[in-house]
Amino acid sequence: MSIQHHPSEELLTAFAAGTLDRGQHIAAATHLGHCPACRGWVKSVENVGGAVLAELPPAPMAPDALSRIAPRLAEAPHQSASRRDGDSLPDVPGLPAFVRALPAEPWVWVAPSLHVRRIELGGTSPTRVFLLKSGPGTKLLPHTHTGFELTCVLTGSFTHDNRRYAVGDFDMGTPEDEHEIEIGTDEACISLVAMQGTLRLKGVFGRLLQPLISF
Amino acid sequence: MGLAMAGEPVTPQEWSQCLSAVATHQDRAAFARLFEYFAPRVKTFMRRSGADDAAAEELAQETLLMVWRKAAQFDPATAGAGAWIFTIARNLRVDALRRERGVSARAGDIDAEFLIDGAPTPDAVLAGQQADARVRAALKELSAEQKRVIELSFYQERAHGDIAAVLGIPLGTVKSRLRLAMSKLRILLDDLS
Repeated sequence: MSIQHHPSEELLTAFAAGTLDRGQHIAAATHLGHCPACRGWVKSVENVGGAVLAELPPAPMAPDALSRIAPRLAEAPHQSASRRDGDSLPDVPGLPAFVRALPAEPWVWVAPSLHVRRIELGGTSPTRVFLLKSGPGTKLLPHTHTGFELTCVLTGSFTHDNRRYAVGDFDMGTPEDEHEIEIGTDEACISLVAMQGTLRLKGVFGRLLQPLISF
Repeated sequence: MGLAMAGEPVTPQEWSQCLSAVATHQDRAAFARLFEYFAPRVKTFMRRSGADDAAAEELAQETLLMVWRKAAQFDPATAGAGAWIFTIARNLRVDALRRERGVSARAGDIDAEFLIDGAPTPDAVLAGQQADARVRAALKELSAEQKRVIELSFYQERAHGDIAAVLGIPLGTVKSRLRLAMSKLRILLDDLS
């Protein structure tokens, strides 16, 4: 089973550069955990970062810059505290360790065959991150976004515009798209979603459901 | 160390040797050479990322302090010295930006966020120095402008806007040039493999 849908090179470059917001970073990291090819590209960009850094013009440091940190060199070598990460999402496969350690709310029912579980970022990231669980064969209502939406499949599969997304696949929705998504019939589909803005459901039924999805 | 090692180390091999000397016997002279070369460049990196002079100086010092403390974790078989120091500077910058926004995070947390589980594939990830050489060769094939926009991709959005203003071109143009330059770089890196 190989991954068909990858994040854009720009998104992966921004990941390696450390310039993504935290929600986007989490979505990209989730895909990277599944995708050796994209990990290779991130590594390349880090090498480019090293070459860029080495060739930057130097900015003068204070004359005593080195002697000022000298006393700190004598301190015991830094061991990153052997912190035991909590695991608030033990039942969800395919998440990076640092995401599993983030506090998560319980699953919440939002519509028939559709549950949402919010992951707490504890900050002011403009991106919301949540898990979306849909029963096999569920057809999600047509909807649009007011911002972008990054999705990485963790279990099962879905079809979006005739393209099939299975475990590890990455889908990037932009505000221009109109989304009609159908979950694969074989098993429930859990995805990690990082979303800016809100969902807008289409049609009368959609407008009735709108308050439910504004979690 | 002989005379050949005196002064600024200028090749990736010498940087790797300095890091090994720090890791194996806390060699302060080797550290001083790394500091002299990299601290002023990390400072430029932080300045261009939007930090003021004092903050950039402090972040450069912290980066080199981390280089000292973590030198034993440097593995020349998997990373070039420059790339490894870059990742330390990058993580400290992410940490500093989060603090600025009132999110409490320790540097250790940021490191974990860049640690991706999963074995590397042999053909996708090159050994450190080999990768370093390949990236340098690929960068040489790019135009000065393409190199410049690639450098831009390592800074935050707001810095992109600043530099677009400096270059007198719209932000959208900076972004499209960046896209082109990265695609060319990717093709070059694939060709060199």
